[in-house]
Amino acid sequence: MEYILKNGIVYDPINEINGEKKDVMFKDGKIVNSVSDSAKVIDVTDKLVMPAGIDVHCHLAGPKLCVGRLYRPEDERRGVKPKTDITRAETGFSIPNCPATGYRFSRMGYGTVVEAAVPPLEAKHTHEEIIAIPNIDIPPLTLFGNNWFIMQFAKEGRIDDIAAFVSAWLKITKGYGVKIVNPCGSEAWGWGMNVHGIDDPAPYWDVTAREVIRALAQANEMLGLPHSIHVHPNDLGHPGNFPTTINSIDCMKDIKKNSEYRNQTIHLTHAQFHCYDGTSWRDVTSGVEPVADYINKHDHVTADMGQVTLDETTTMTADGPMEYDLYELTGLKWANKDIELETASGLVPFIYSGRNPVHSLQWAIGLELALMIEDPWKICLTTDSPNAGPFIRYPRVMSWLMSYQRRAEMMDNKEVHAWAGRKSALGTLDREYDFYDIATITRAGPSKIYGFEDRGHLGAGAIADIAVYDLEPNNFDPTRNAAAVEKAFSNALYTIKDGQVLVKDGEIVKIVSSKHVRTEVEGFEDEEKRILEEIMPFFNRYYTIKFENYVVHDHYAEPSSVYKVNASK
Amino acid sequence: MAYEPPVTDYDEIVENCTCAFCGSNCDDVDILVKDNHVVGVRHACRLGASKIMEDEDQRLTVPMIRDENGELMEVDWDTALDRAAELIAGAVRPVFYGWSETSIEAMKPGLELTELVGAVIDNQATICHGPTVQAVQNVGYPLMTLGEVKNRADMVVYTGSNPMNAHPRHLARYTTFPKGFFRKRGRFDRTLVTWDPKYSDTAKLSDIWIPFEENGDYGFCNAIRAVLKGKELKQDFISGIPKEDIVALTEKMKNTQFGALFFGLGLTHTLSKQRNIDIAIQLVQDLNKYTKWVLLPMRGHFNVNGFNIFMAYEMGFPYGVDFCRGYPRYMIGETTTIDLLNRKECDVFMVIAADPGAHFPGGALAHLVDIPVIQIDIHWGPSTELADVVLPGTFIGVETAGTSYRMDSVPIYMKKAIDPPETCREDEWIVNELLQRVKKIKEASK
Amino acid sequence: MTYIEKPSISNVVKFEDPDVAQVKKLTVMLNTGTDIYQGACKKRGSTLKDEYRKVAGVCYMDPKDMARLGVGNWESVLVKSDWGEVVVYAAHSRDAPHEGMIFIPKGPWANVVVSPETYCCSDPTYKGIKATVEKTDKEVLLMADLMRDVYKKYVKEGDKPEELPSLGEMPVYKKIRSG
Ligand code: SF4
Ligand SMILES: [Zn+2]
Ligand SMILES: [Zn+2]
Repeated sequence: MEYILKNGIVYDPINEINGEKKDVMFKDGKIVNSVSDSAKVIDVTDKLVMPAGIDVHCHLAGPKLCVGRLYRPEDERRGVKPKTDITRAETGFSIPNCPATGYRFSRMGYGTVVEAAVPPLEAKHTHEEIIAIPNIDIPPLTLFGNNWFIMQFAKEGRIDDIAAFVSAWLKITKGYGVKIVNPCGSEAWGWGMNVHGIDDPAPYWDVTAREVIRALAQANEMLGLPHSIHVHPNDLGHPGNFPTTINSIDCMKDIKKNSEYRNQTIHLTHAQFHCYDGTSWRDVTSGVEPVADYINKHDHVTADMGQVTLDETTTMTADGPMEYDLYELTGLKWANKDIELETASGLVPFIYSGRNPVHSLQWAIGLELALMIEDPWKICLTTDSPNAGPFIRYPRVMSWLMSYQRRAEMMDNKEVHAWAGRKSALGTLDREYDFYDIATITRAGPSKIYGFEDRGHLGAGAIADIAVYDLEPNNFDPTRNAAAVEKAFSNALYTIKDGQVLVKDGEIVKIVSSKHVRTEVEGFEDEEKRILEEIMPFFNRYYTIKFENYVVHDHYAEPSSVYKVNASK
Repeated sequence: MAYEPPVTDYDEIVENCTCAFCGSNCDDVDILVKDNHVVGVRHACRLGASKIMEDEDQRLTVPMIRDENGELMEVDWDTALDRAAELIAGAVRPVFYGWSETSIEAMKPGLELTELVGAVIDNQATICHGPTVQAVQNVGYPLMTLGEVKNRADMVVYTGSNPMNAHPRHLARYTTFPKGFFRKRGRFDRTLVTWDPKYSDTAKLSDIWIPFEENGDYGFCNAIRAVLKGKELKQDFISGIPKEDIVALTEKMKNTQFGALFFGLGLTHTLSKQRNIDIAIQLVQDLNKYTKWVLLPMRGHFNVNGFNIFMAYEMGFPYGVDFCRGYPRYMIGETTTIDLLNRKECDVFMVIAADPGAHFPGGALAHLVDIPVIQIDIHWGPSTELADVVLPGTFIGVETAGTSYRMDSVPIYMKKAIDPPETCREDEWIVNELLQRVKKIKEASK
Repeated sequence: MTYIEKPSISNVVKFEDPDVAQVKKLTVMLNTGTDIYQGACKKRGSTLKDEYRKVAGVCYMDPKDMARLGVGNWESVLVKSDWGEVVVYAAHSRDAPHEGMIFIPKGPWANVVVSPETYCCSDPTYKGIKATVEKTDKEVLLMADLMRDVYKKYVKEGDKPEELPSLGEMPVYKKIRSG
């Protein structure tokens, strides 16, 4: 089937198309340069056209989400929608049921959403949820930062073996890339402890975050994986943590990248939670400036925001000790889930409020990051959903970024506490994102960062993932119309996925299966086999499941989209 | 038990099968097969082995419906499926109960059918760990996978459960006896504690047995929490236990390196129900101020947790979910099976992979006498005596592969060892057939 | 501190024991739940068989209580609660002593006397039920007979279930082809 999307105003930063009136053509699910006369015409004259959105970091499928749904029916009761002829029922606000997750991303014009943390032992669960989520492609990141084998090998400096292990485990878990969460700290949580800073060793293993981050980064580049290591550093959410953040990035700046498409060797996730100055919640202030400055001066790092949206939400992370701290702080119900030999995790509901000074400061810090990091290719829009807020708020975050007036208004009207202005530089930042910048931080940048050569742009050969919004960029001022920006980005005029119209006028019109997007390294099979043989006795002794039953079987990952990586160095 | 000589006459050993009995989901079971029959089982406990070496006399092998005399008679699959589909399509308030002994793959069409007809879907949690889920919703859920306990725990507490009877390999495979990475001497590196009014078979193996009095669980946990918070106990005995001993035990619990608390239906089935669990969870949360503690409910069936997980990710709620309004509603005491039966609300009851005849109170079963009952199962059981349509399924983990979730939520793909009997059908197939037939009936009547 | 020392009890309490006063009816607290024998038998599928009756149609009692009632192992007792009454075997409890408490493993026999009340918590009340135990001459029924007797779902009007022939220990249904 051939289509022509006619006369839209196109923003496609990878192809340097900045608001040109242009036709976008696609055929059999792919963008093409020309179509025949029989192509079906979709008229989008003067409407805003972008590649479909790519979310670089979201928690949307897997065991943590399920604990959340199980223990927070109060959240599920928000956002209930009955079934229709096309869609199934929706429930949930911060932790929606799987169908709702797919529909809501699809309605916002998103096509690809990264699941940010998969414990290998429960990877099947993540893939089962991916099967239950419709309409978006999902690359899952596999957790490695507190894995016993990795810690041991990092201690011994066995980079080749780490590469072999990562290569094998990406296949075993059907994962896309390497995630590191509070390296060594989540292992310490196995004993109810934590580590502080990147040189504080994990108990028993006697290895530090610095060593783990470096080792995994070297292995990642040895394999030439499409994405760099994806790091949630130590000390999340602690006042005075910004030096740890900078150290985590700086400690690996000498490592050479081995990928043509991306620029970075480390992605710093939910940076907002890692940019605090001060010594306690009383004297905390923004620590964005030094971090943004570092990022502005170095090209080996990219980041995403982790923007606080001032909602009641559910926090969830593989950073187990952090969640316990949060529980002690708030007294709200604490859930925890430690995974043998691999990681920890925890959950606590959280009620962010604009009346609360700390939450308001966090809100300001997220925005400061996006405004102070000069190059929009280095920063992506996220809310670390649902940690700092649910993903359905992305359009609202866009509206904040696009309008200085709106930000000032929020501070003036006391929609946020005075700390937002007093303890950060937000009030002084009059930079405003335009549509090209928005397309960069939600499409083009993410495409580069993840090595998704086939998406995030509208060049010929790319998959036809396209979003059209009901805004006319040539006669609309986003700096003065925050509410209209939010509304338009929340309800796409069209969401097209693999060339099929899934959303029309903000409503789901078609359901398709989500693809499990994953990486497979080729040319490393002998190394993988050797390392598996070596570790198998240990595996059998200390895991409680047989290796045969640990592996994610193919039928959990259909349909798949596999990025093959050739590791023949 | 009498000595049984090892089985030597078999064609093939199928290794690493998963036992489809209790929530321990032991996945190291070897099944010995000869001529497509199970002739032996290795590694499984007595319970697991008894299920795998099933009683073939009582295997449901053919579809059946009741004749005009109320006697069951064999019919072909079409007749039985059509009969069941008509009942479901014609129902106003159908309840689909069970699911804990089948695979996630079979639940999928089951949920689709539920959404199509606006039924209530519920599982065995409704009569076992329902209060646990409610407590978790009240206060939280600090848990772990079982390997954490195996590798780290130096204190293991069981309360309100008797794993030696209900989860026989739990201690041997996961918590107490195995050699863990940080517990190289296994049993010798751990203190095993049982809190139970009865001198249970688990208490008999324990280092410490705390026989608090019947219904003393709440008071006892509360006392430990008080001591933890530095309060002085004003009574000499609490729940029948001397206060010095409570103080000493609290001290011990504070000074472990890694403690794990396992609780069972003894806590959920007494009158204070979810409040017992509330306080046990809070106790564990409090202990984390001092050292590492985690807990885990001892789930009974091999996939009872799986159903709760499946429902949570598909529809946001764990069990007792009512679709009659076109969107899911979850109201404990309203949309849960026993309450629906007690109120005589349900008009067609389908039971799959469960046996309410054996497990529901007579007062609730009385309503099943008045309404049609459809049964999907592998054995003739008490529920068959109340069933109007009987559809013979296959045995997950032996005859059919599928996914289950262990009590600690670790997903396991259970493989198959032999082919099912020719006249039986997989649960997934049966439920999907019902779905398609009900769809047809609904469309025809549009 | 250790509680592992357990008071020893003699397995058999003699009737002439001076501690024992004979009574007709005992008021007890009834608990139900799983045990390994019931579990194994149920999951094997042998619920029609005599063995199921032996593992689930049984009331485990403190030997002293049994002596008081004058019942021996595997003699019948009638257990009554507000919810119904059922004949089960009496047997010495392995977990004794627990005078005044009886345990019936979960199953069709226990179901007759437990409470369906959920107190709005979804779970019926399986434990801590007030009941009485007395000696009886009646037989403990096989599962199929018990289900017919109690629920009478397919008993024709006018028929008395207790007078019908036993349904036996094998499935009973009409086959399409004989042989
Ligand atoms: S402990 Fe449970 S899962 Fe393991 S063999 Fe026994 S019955 Fe099966
Ligand atoms: Zn994180
Ligand atoms: Zn995250």
